[in-house]
Amino acid sequence: MTAFLALLRRDLVVAGRNGAALLVATLTQPILVVLVFGNILPRLHLVADEFRTVMVPGLMSITMLMAGVQGVLLPLTIDLSGSREVDERILAPISVLGVAFEKVIAGAIHAAVAGLIALPAMMLLMHRVGGVDVKPSWGMLLPLVAACGILSASFGLTMGTRVQPRFSGLLFAVVLGPLMLFGCAYYPWVSLRVLGPLQYVFLLNPLVFMSEAMRLSVTPDVPHMPVAGLLAGMAIFSLAFLISGARAFERRVIL
Amino acid sequence: MAPLLVVEDLRKTYPGTRKTPPVEAVRGISFSVEAGETFGLLGPNGAGKSTTLGCITSLVRPSAGRVLVDGVDAGRDPSRVKRLIAVVPQTRNLDRDLTVRDILVYHARYFGLSADEREARADRLLAEMQLQDKAGAKPATLSGGMQQRAMIARALMHDPRVLLLDEPTTGLDPQARRALWDTLRGLQQRGLTIILTTHYMEEADQLCRRLAIIDHGTILTLDTPAALKRSLPGGHILDVWVRSGKPVAPQLEALPGVVRLEKVAAAADGSSDWLERLRLFVDPGNGLLDRVLQSVREAGGDLDHVSLTQPSLEDVYIHLTGKELRE
Repeated sequence: MTAFLALLRRDLVVAGRNGAALLVATLTQPILVVLVFGNILPRLHLVADEFRTVMVPGLMSITMLMAGVQGVLLPLTIDLSGSREVDERILAPISVLGVAFEKVIAGAIHAAVAGLIALPAMMLLMHRVGGVDVKPSWGMLLPLVAACGILSASFGLTMGTRVQPRFSGLLFAVVLGPLMLFGCAYYPWVSLRVLGPLQYVFLLNPLVFMSEAMRLSVTPDVPHMPVAGLLAGMAIFSLAFLISGARAFERRVIL
Repeated sequence: MAPLLVVEDLRKTYPGTRKTPPVEAVRGISFSVEAGETFGLLGPNGAGKSTTLGCITSLVRPSAGRVLVDGVDAGRDPSRVKRLIAVVPQTRNLDRDLTVRDILVYHARYFGLSADEREARADRLLAEMQLQDKAGAKPATLSGGMQQRAMIARALMHDPRVLLLDEPTTGLDPQARRALWDTLRGLQQRGLTIILTTHYMEEADQLCRRLAIIDHGTILTLDTPAALKRSLPGGHILDVWVRSGKPVAPQLEALPGVVRLEKVAAAADGSSDWLERLRLFVDPGNGLLDRVLQSVREAGGDLDHVSLTQPSLEDVYIHLTGKELRE
């Protein structure tokens, strides 16, 4: 446990030092989306006012997904690179799985912080715009943000260990892009009923559960997925990515 | 007293891929190292040295065999073994996001040292490795020799019983290499058990009390450097370059006092003569040099170059493997 906490401390200190850059990297996207879709387009009457309420939790989940994936993927790429910095950590008195899990926790903290900064930032940007119905229930929000962080970081662990670094550009374009567009960030999953059975295909996307979790805790008045369903979805995806990522990590570091 | 490190019939086969066959890197290596001893694994690249070291540090999972450090099985209880050992890897893997001092302090944190101990040891080791001036620098700004010393300082932070160094001087200039040897000698005098791999004969000769020469995943021989050199037939080596119209090796091999002859190189040069380099393992008494000279003359040749030397480890190596140490 000592080694685990020391490793976590090291990762958080290093991440904190690059804090400003990380913050800019994770917050640029949601802030620009809010400016365009939450401010400009509604004033031009090109989107409905309700859209602003719908997209706030969605943008939080996107921000967390990006932060969680980057928070694990980028350090992992350096760790596993030719210089093998990871070896020093593997040689610490901790199991290989412990090292992998530490990476996930560090990434989850990164994601949670990003999500919790994104929310007030968006609300601030839209505070003079009418029709925004954001009522965060903090008691529910905080544990769900933590769960979203773990899911995002576990996903990052799987991507970071199973995808070769030279394909990571492709990863963002081909995997994360579609995940974000079809992740129920800009529309509630419940309203997809109009698509018929296709609605359930969306459940293959882990971001859907994160968006719905945020929807539940930030805009409770907007229809959302049943709590049991979204908790189950997040748990299943987190576990699957954790196991898959940790196994791949072990194969990468122990020859 | 039981040895501090025991390696028993270690084997490692790396699985192949669709395009490459499996690689049998280590094929049954056994040795043991006493506390306080410096033990060397000498061999060319690809001989299995690093894989053997990796199995000891649990970074490589052996296919068979076992490793005991102070009686603890590395396969069963790697966390306990990691506290007993420290590793200076071949690739310089200092944490690029931390300063040299922080690298040492964080390493100590991983091992659960108290704050006072962390700071005191970091100061002591920075001084010992002459890195005080670089305490606040990032590793990327350090020279190769300094990085190597920083990795040794890092390794010593948790006060290991065994220090493993994988090709510690590869890539260092001669001056830095010698400085590192001095550092390692200092650690030897303090009683630290050291295991190092190298492909430099001189390094093995200078530092190791015993060494194993390994190639193709097996130990060819294992003894003290002096005993290895004594084991060569004849006890001396006569290196001759002969220029002649035809090969002279058969005549030389038949001379009394020549125990063994190895052809090192032969080439026909521009003037249609043979230039042969021969290594003769000889017992040099009783006018041997005269006989060699006479024999070459009788064959119509010239001695281009002659040297009589004490055998070096390189000679032992070439004698055992029949080839020069490949880089």
